[in-house]
Amino acid sequence: MNSSKITLDLILERMAEDAEKVQQRVSKASEILQGQLNYELGQTPYEIVYEEDRVKVKHYSRNENAENKLKVPLLVVYALINRETMLDLQPDRSVVKTFLEGGIDLYMVDWGYPKRKDRFLTIDDHVNGYMNNIVDFIRKKNNIPQINLMGICMGGTFSVMYSALHPEKIKNLITTVTPSSFDTDKGLLHIWMKDLDADRMVRTFGNIPGDLMNLGFLLLNPARLMIDKYVGFMENMDKKEFVENFVRMERWIFDSPDVPGETFRQFVEDCYKNNLLIQSKMFLDGKRVDLKKLTMPLLNFFGEYDHLVPPTACNQLSKAVGSRDVEDVNLETGHIGIYVSSKFQKLFAPKIVQWLKDRDKEDVAASKTDLARPAVRKKSAKEGGKFKIDKNSQSGTVRAV
Amino acid sequence: MTEEDKQSPFKEPSVFPWLQTALDMWINMAKATPPSPDNALDTQTSTQNRFTKQLDTNLNLFKSFSRMMSEPESAPAVANSFIALPEILFKMAKSGFDAALQIQNHLIEKAGKIGKSTEAYKFDNLDQGVFEALNDVYEKELRQYFKIPPLGPTRFYQERFNEMLDKYNLFETMLAEFLSILYLPMEKSFKVFQEKLQQMAEEGNLPKETKESYAIWIKILEGHYINLFKSKEYTDVLHRMLSQLEDFIIIRNKTLEDFLQLFPIVTDQDVDDLYKEFHLLKKRVNKLEKQLDISPNTLTIVK
Repeated sequence: MNSSKITLDLILERMAEDAEKVQQRVSKASEILQGQLNYELGQTPYEIVYEEDRVKVKHYSRNENAENKLKVPLLVVYALINRETMLDLQPDRSVVKTFLEGGIDLYMVDWGYPKRKDRFLTIDDHVNGYMNNIVDFIRKKNNIPQINLMGICMGGTFSVMYSALHPEKIKNLITTVTPSSFDTDKGLLHIWMKDLDADRMVRTFGNIPGDLMNLGFLLLNPARLMIDKYVGFMENMDKKEFVENFVRMERWIFDSPDVPGETFRQFVEDCYKNNLLIQSKMFLDGKRVDLKKLTMPLLNFFGEYDHLVPPTACNQLSKAVGSRDVEDVNLETGHIGIYVSSKFQKLFAPKIVQWLKDRDKEDVAASKTDLARPAVRKKSAKEGGKFKIDKNSQSGTVRAV
Repeated sequence: MTEEDKQSPFKEPSVFPWLQTALDMWINMAKATPPSPDNALDTQTSTQNRFTKQLDTNLNLFKSFSRMMSEPESAPAVANSFIALPEILFKMAKSGFDAALQIQNHLIEKAGKIGKSTEAYKFDNLDQGVFEALNDVYEKELRQYFKIPPLGPTRFYQERFNEMLDKYNLFETMLAEFLSILYLPMEKSFKVFQEKLQQMAEEGNLPKETKESYAIWIKILEGHYINLFKSKEYTDVLHRMLSQLEDFIIIRNKTLEDFLQLFPIVTDQDVDDLYKEFHLLKKRVNKLEKQLDISPNTLTIVK
């Protein structure tokens, strides 16, 4: 009994100490919050080179002094949910910056903010309309037959569809946290979407409001996203850099454009409910999206702890495509951590730069010697620095551990 | 005089003289009005004719009414209708009282179940009896008033407005159920946290820092939420809530559109129709441009 009494005394003592610390913290925090804060997003300079309706294309100037500059430009297609500014969140955590320093000529799609007039836009309008026009524009501008394509989340799904329908225009494909197989009960979104009446939602709202989607995402993990996150903020609000980064992230998270109604309806029905894409049964404007036509090299990233797009929704793609040069990279992080965590910043973007450079070199060598590229089929499971052969795999999988 | 006659206010002698006086006044007024000569029609405007005719009709109507009321045989019918009024009011009050009683009974029943309802980390067979009861009471006792068929030229608008109120009430009830489910993990996490602290205290292992205690609690809470969100019960309630919200928004928008029709403003429906036509037209133009290999940038407009 004595020991528990002492513990209780200790607890009370600590609580008193904590109260004092909180008081000091709040006093410092009020100075910081009232002072000058820099929480701007997307600070890397760019130029708008293409505009069509609400859609724009940003072109970033690369480091011309970089070694082995890539000949083929890279087009990044973000999801229709949230904004592409996530790739350029802050100067020391910027995928865009790493790409530019690695010598990539970078183009990025900015989908803008859909208005009521956009409610009838389908997936086909995005993929065979906007995306195709943008790819053609970049090909023409650079006078090249093919470009590199990278898709993020839903943008990755669009990129898969595009590459299957226009394989002649895509040299290398990179998919990151991209759902391609939807028949899984690992992610809550996959569970909830199964019974969602998308038709009715679209009839009611027209475009699906970004705020409604945000609420849905918050409800995926309210303990962490609605409580713990802000407790963390209260604990660190006396640190200027922390506050700036936190506010930047908040600005990005709640900057949610509406999703065009018809696109949402089709995505829920064809993908989440009927899982047509991975079975190569999906049709866009009457044309079948045949994944076997994805013959270009494919690099597929996903997050081990991704609660929105779980690994099982991503890792089926590599088996379904026709390409012989396929690599899966499973990073031990979540949906957003891949792009913004300082730890994965060192792995993710440099890996893409290197992968593209390897294929750029191969291309040069192949064109010189007129030899076909040797078949490589890599499938990695965990990224942590070094690679290990997975003996269980039928195709001699390379596993990154 | 029967017992019933005695109770009737219309059998009082004071009522009949008043009715008789009123009748006489209308008859005298009608007599005093000069008869309209046929040729007078030629000198009067059609508007005046309509007005005079309408006045005549009204006077005659009132005369008939006064005469009818003053006749002793119609008095019981009038008296009965006045007697029935408190009865109707009483029935309506009883209906409301019954509903309140029903809610109270359910609440008492629920109170007896507190603590027995669900186990920690389990969200199947949730005891949502109170909300079912509320919904039941609303549907049986109150909803009927919104379903009374409105009459007259504005019946369509009244019906829409009533439907909006009805859908709003249904959504409110559903939202209450959804929020209560959403709060369940909180309730359960505190209970589990308390048990855990007790166990740790017995082991002499209590966390010394508040932060440690918080970390334990938030982990418990997260676990509860994950279990809740995966349960069929939650998914069902979520979808029902969304469905009720959508019902309400659809009817609210229609009601607003009814209102907006009074003003020279286009409605969402008008704009959507236009957008759809524009969208289809644009697709056709794009297709034709592609077929003819024309880039939009190469087109020049000659004025």
